[in-house]
Amino acid sequence: MSKGSSGLSEQTYFVLAALLDGPLHGHAIIKKVVDLSQGRITLAVGTLYGALDRLAANGVITVEREEVVNGRKRRYFRITDEGSGMVEAEARRMQQAAAVVTGRRSLGATFG
Amino acid sequence: MTSLERRYRWLLRAYPCGYRADYGDELLDVLMDNAKPGQALPPLREAVALVVGGLRTRIITAAQGPAWVDGLHLAVVALTLVNLAVLIPYATSVPLWLGLSAVSLLLVLRGLPRLALPFAGLVAFKITGITMGQPWLDATLLPVFPDGLWQGPALYGNGGPVAPLTANLLIVLGLVILATRGERPKSRSWWWLAAVPLVAGADPAGLDIVAGSPMAMTRVFLEVALLSVAAYAGHLTADPRWAIAAGAYLLPASAVLAENHQFLQRQDLAHWGLLIVLTALAAAVPFRARRRILL
Repeated sequence: MSKGSSGLSEQTYFVLAALLDGPLHGHAIIKKVVDLSQGRITLAVGTLYGALDRLAANGVITVEREEVVNGRKRRYFRITDEGSGMVEAEARRMQQAAAVVTGRRSLGATFG
Repeated sequence: MTSLERRYRWLLRAYPCGYRADYGDELLDVLMDNAKPGQALPPLREAVALVVGGLRTRIITAAQGPAWVDGLHLAVVALTLVNLAVLIPYATSVPLWLGLSAVSLLLVLRGLPRLALPFAGLVAFKITGITMGQPWLDATLLPVFPDGLWQGPALYGNGGPVAPLTANLLIVLGLVILATRGERPKSRSWWWLAAVPLVAGADPAGLDIVAGSPMAMTRVFLEVALLSVAAYAGHLTADPRWAIAAGAYLLPASAVLAENHQFLQRQDLAHWGLLIVLTALAAAVPFRARRRILL
């Protein structure tokens, strides 16, 4: 998936998926995306924060709270209802797309 | 502070000052958390992502305030800059006008249209005189030939008066409009001044494309680079301000062609076509859907 019909890139999809279980800060998002993608996607920090800024500007995520750790600010990002709906719709779209191929294989296994 | 942190701080300078003040430490924290023990150099992909992210943030931050005012100001900056640059090879013959043009550019860059207007007006009047072969305002020996080290035609000796008149009219009109608004345009980066030597030495009429001199090619390269940035900025922000500036720059460039159509060659038309395509691209991309969340 480079970019789906919803306009979500694969990286954005995994960032939003990482936030489905609750608010996370930047470093935790990077680690969770690595886990969810089974090590396939490692976000660069500049790329992640550019995406978080754009997603927040579009109302797809929001800043849940700010904490100060070792004298430095740390933002926790939360996915909005709109963001959840978007990532779930993308998951359904990909599931349908995958079924087109996996369905043929299982048919082939049955009749072949 | 470790050498890695120092290098990351240096890379974070790609971000605008305000953004760095708000979130620079947060980004630095995450970068340091991701670093391996004993690591001294930022990985290339992190460095590239920071520079690209910083430049994107700068463009997004720049797209604030009324687009047409900012676009008009940007156009006046570009045209005033070209006005100054083309005078540089003639510095010893027209030092006063070079100086006034430089003051005009500095005031425009600082976002001071009311102060810039009289200087720009005087320069426009003088340039009009030179293009028409009249030594208005002071005893300038015409035609004005370039100084020893510079090669090229006499000042506005090629191309006719319409194109320089169009450019200067746009500058003066733009400044009048900006000056009559209550709100002052924002200050522009001093980095604009770096473009002055790159344009200096090119034919003021822009009819040196066929010769393919390094000066002409440098100017074409700069035009293409800036118009590409304008198109990218419009794509990123869905904002027309850069297209407005590009369109204003295109007007005098088109006037050159209209005025000299009988002398034009394939290369001139190709250059103009390139400017048209990039300007049209810059104008078209902001009309794309505003809602983009691409990573």
